[in-house]
Amino acid sequence: MVSATPRVWRIAAIAVVSAVVIYMLAPLAVVIATSFSASQFLVFPPRGLSLRWYTEVLSSPAYLHAAWTSAWIAVIVTALAVLVGTPAGVALARHHVRGATWWSALFLSPLVLPVVVLGIGLLSVFSKYFGGPSYFAIVIGHLVICLPYVIRTVGAVAVGIDRNAEEAARLMGARWWERYLYVVLPQCRTGILAGGFLAFNISFDDAVVALFLRAPGIETLPLLIYGRLEFSPDPSVAAVSTLLVALTILIVIALERWFGLGRLAH
Amino acid sequence: MTLVRTLPALIALVFAATASAQQTLVINSFGGDYEKTHRELIITPFEKQNNVKVQVTTVYSADTVAQLRAQKERPQFDVVHLSGGLDATAAAEGLLQPIQPGQLSNYKDLYPIAVQNLASGRGPMYHIAVIGLLYSTDKLKPAPASWKDVFEPKLAKHLVWTDVSNQWGMLGFLMVNQVLGGTLDNVNPALDAIKKTLPGATIVSKSPEIQQAFAQSDAWLAPYAQDYAFTLRKAGLPVQFIQPREGAPIAPVTINLVKGRPNTELALKFIDYTLRPEVQAGWANALRYSPVNKQTKLAPEVAAEVTVGEAAMSKLVEIDANQLSARRAAITEAWKRAIAK
Amino acid sequence: MPAASAASPRLEAAALIAPGAALLLAAFVLPVLQLLSVSFVAADGSFSLDAYARLISDAFYFGVTARTLRVAALITLITLLLGFPLAYVAARGSPRTALWISVLVITPLLTSVVIRTFGWLVVLGRNGLLAQVLQPLGLVEPGFALMRTETGVVIALAQVLLPFMVLTLIGSIRAVDMRLEEAARTMGAGFGATLARVTIPLSLPGIVGGSLLVFALSISSFITPALVGGPRLPFLAGSIFESATATLDWPFAAAQSALLLLAVLLLFVPVTLLRRERRG
Repeated sequence: MVSATPRVWRIAAIAVVSAVVIYMLAPLAVVIATSFSASQFLVFPPRGLSLRWYTEVLSSPAYLHAAWTSAWIAVIVTALAVLVGTPAGVALARHHVRGATWWSALFLSPLVLPVVVLGIGLLSVFSKYFGGPSYFAIVIGHLVICLPYVIRTVGAVAVGIDRNAEEAARLMGARWWERYLYVVLPQCRTGILAGGFLAFNISFDDAVVALFLRAPGIETLPLLIYGRLEFSPDPSVAAVSTLLVALTILIVIALERWFGLGRLAH
Repeated sequence: MTLVRTLPALIALVFAATASAQQTLVINSFGGDYEKTHRELIITPFEKQNNVKVQVTTVYSADTVAQLRAQKERPQFDVVHLSGGLDATAAAEGLLQPIQPGQLSNYKDLYPIAVQNLASGRGPMYHIAVIGLLYSTDKLKPAPASWKDVFEPKLAKHLVWTDVSNQWGMLGFLMVNQVLGGTLDNVNPALDAIKKTLPGATIVSKSPEIQQAFAQSDAWLAPYAQDYAFTLRKAGLPVQFIQPREGAPIAPVTINLVKGRPNTELALKFIDYTLRPEVQAGWANALRYSPVNKQTKLAPEVAAEVTVGEAAMSKLVEIDANQLSARRAAITEAWKRAIAK
Repeated sequence: MPAASAASPRLEAAALIAPGAALLLAAFVLPVLQLLSVSFVAADGSFSLDAYARLISDAFYFGVTARTLRVAALITLITLLLGFPLAYVAARGSPRTALWISVLVITPLLTSVVIRTFGWLVVLGRNGLLAQVLQPLGLVEPGFALMRTETGVVIALAQVLLPFMVLTLIGSIRAVDMRLEEAARTMGAGFGATLARVTIPLSLPGIVGGSLLVFALSISSFITPALVGGPRLPFLAGSIFESATATLDWPFAAAQSALLLLAVLLLFVPVTLLRRERRG
């Protein structure tokens, strides 16, 4: 802070920030706490402590199948998002693309345009022309919402690439794909990695696209949780949610290690 | 276009490769305790006996029909359980495959009422439920005797209405409407009366919420199904069921074959399994659903809490399923408007 | 000799963007256009504006839209008021503080919205955390719950969207030259005055950007209003879902989607154009 911030402002800042921090973390803390509840009711604070819900989740075919489905989809989406998003991110960050503002807007639009509209649009198209939703439909839907993240993280790193190295490669006779493979992409490593993590996470956690494009047999984990919440939640839902949160925390740590969370801010 | 068609198939292949090589049967069920019982009584034993996998999706009847409609070209369910006369809707829209009496070994033991609609392409009933009033024996003495009792002003805060998206809620609503002088075409009598009970009364859409309301929110009275009173008592709540004097709607649940699926034989086996006497007894013991198989043997205390026999069933009020089908959308829309804050 | 291998940079750029552009056009733009075309179809297949007419003239659906907008405005205000202090501390604080706040903000963001809303169901429910805290204090009567209320939806959704506001604001406050603040202070302005006269006006782009983002996300939100609000509080996104999957009224679902899309575009297109002008 600017030195000599008056005491009263410091105290106010600490108070407000603490309150906001509690506000931000309360729901997650509650979920994690109720997952250890010994009774079958979802109350906070939990009555009695037990790991029974974790055992139930880890041995339940429904939860495991849903987790497997989510993971498979997320892996495919991540691979495709990185494949398609990396060149786009590099291009937008460095090259003079005609109409850059508009292309940027298009590529980043899934971040702000309603996912509900994407979901219903895909449902409409797939119902009409492809006989209904399928794994493919969900992969496509997730790809659309994950792509902007890859483009942004790759772009953020690509801006700082050493042009001289590239120029040198060109002068020495490297063809354009060699130039990319050996000079540009290696320098974008962290951006690609961060984008991949984000894409995996976004795809795994998505509930809206999966909800619109659902069909029996295609149930992602967030969708299963959503369904349980509607019908009859017991702490097993809290347990599986906690496991997901743990996965997220691992991803956040990885992101900070290799990319820097500060860069994710606008 | 070929690439576009091949890609989905390729991706599906990837997933299929990771799935088991067993035959799979896709069905729906209704979640919560119901689904647990469903699995114990039918799903798991059936899987073991026939070495197949049964995939269960938790979704209520109205949503199931909506999904079937959306999947019309390529249905994803093999067997669907439908309540509230939605089997009539589904059959009328060509979504179901008619079942021939010869295809079910238990056919001869079923009450006529349970199979009366087979000829029109609907499936057999496998539960009979009765809609009446659930009331707290602690708080309501004497017990309510008429449907109109729900509108007593001081009871408003302790009343639980079930949304018409739930078929039991729909039937309860229509019965109340009938008692107040309304018809399927005019549901305003019921809507006006219900609106007066709001905001005190609670509106729920899933049955576990009713349990929650009785357990935590001081609910005393709810129009709902006879079997659910037993579920609540099992959970420790002092709730009884009563058939009001104006009558109680019969609420059958049917099991139906979906048209256009490859494993019809397996599906029919499943349907047949559901109609066996032992399974029917199981349902009655666990959840107090009234059996449809004449050969079902029930202990006296269980028999007292269900509606057994053709005679008893013929006394129940029947709300015409086909007429309801035609007006369902309009009724739902009117309900939505009435309850919106 | 190597000149031949130098494809023109424009061509190169185009080639790099092509796959992504093709994907977005095929998987996003085209479906949306197709959906819009569905909105103009009547029951018999002819052209009709019925769906839109119903959306605008029907009091019930007008109410749904009004509620959606009203709640969004409230949420935007709340996230701004709560987010600015947090963002300021992160932007001006020590690197460690900034890191912790970033972690704090990004972790919920990367958690599924279903899980976060789940937490709120437990907190806001009848015997939830909130009731347990407020009842002994005598502030509320037994049976109090914010579930199924608009207030509950605002509280839950504001928390879900707060990270977006904070992250946008951090970037923009950081961009305000600290020396300007210092200059104001040396000239005798108090902390509060400096905030009001220097920091806030200069971080206006972030404030506007964050507000637009939160407002847009709020009106598009589906999961949280559906789970927290319940059947008696319909919101626009939930209504779209119901029309498309339950009542299968596709033209109406499409019309509502068009309305939602229009609202969001109205928020962002002017700003994008303004930014372009400023740059050019």
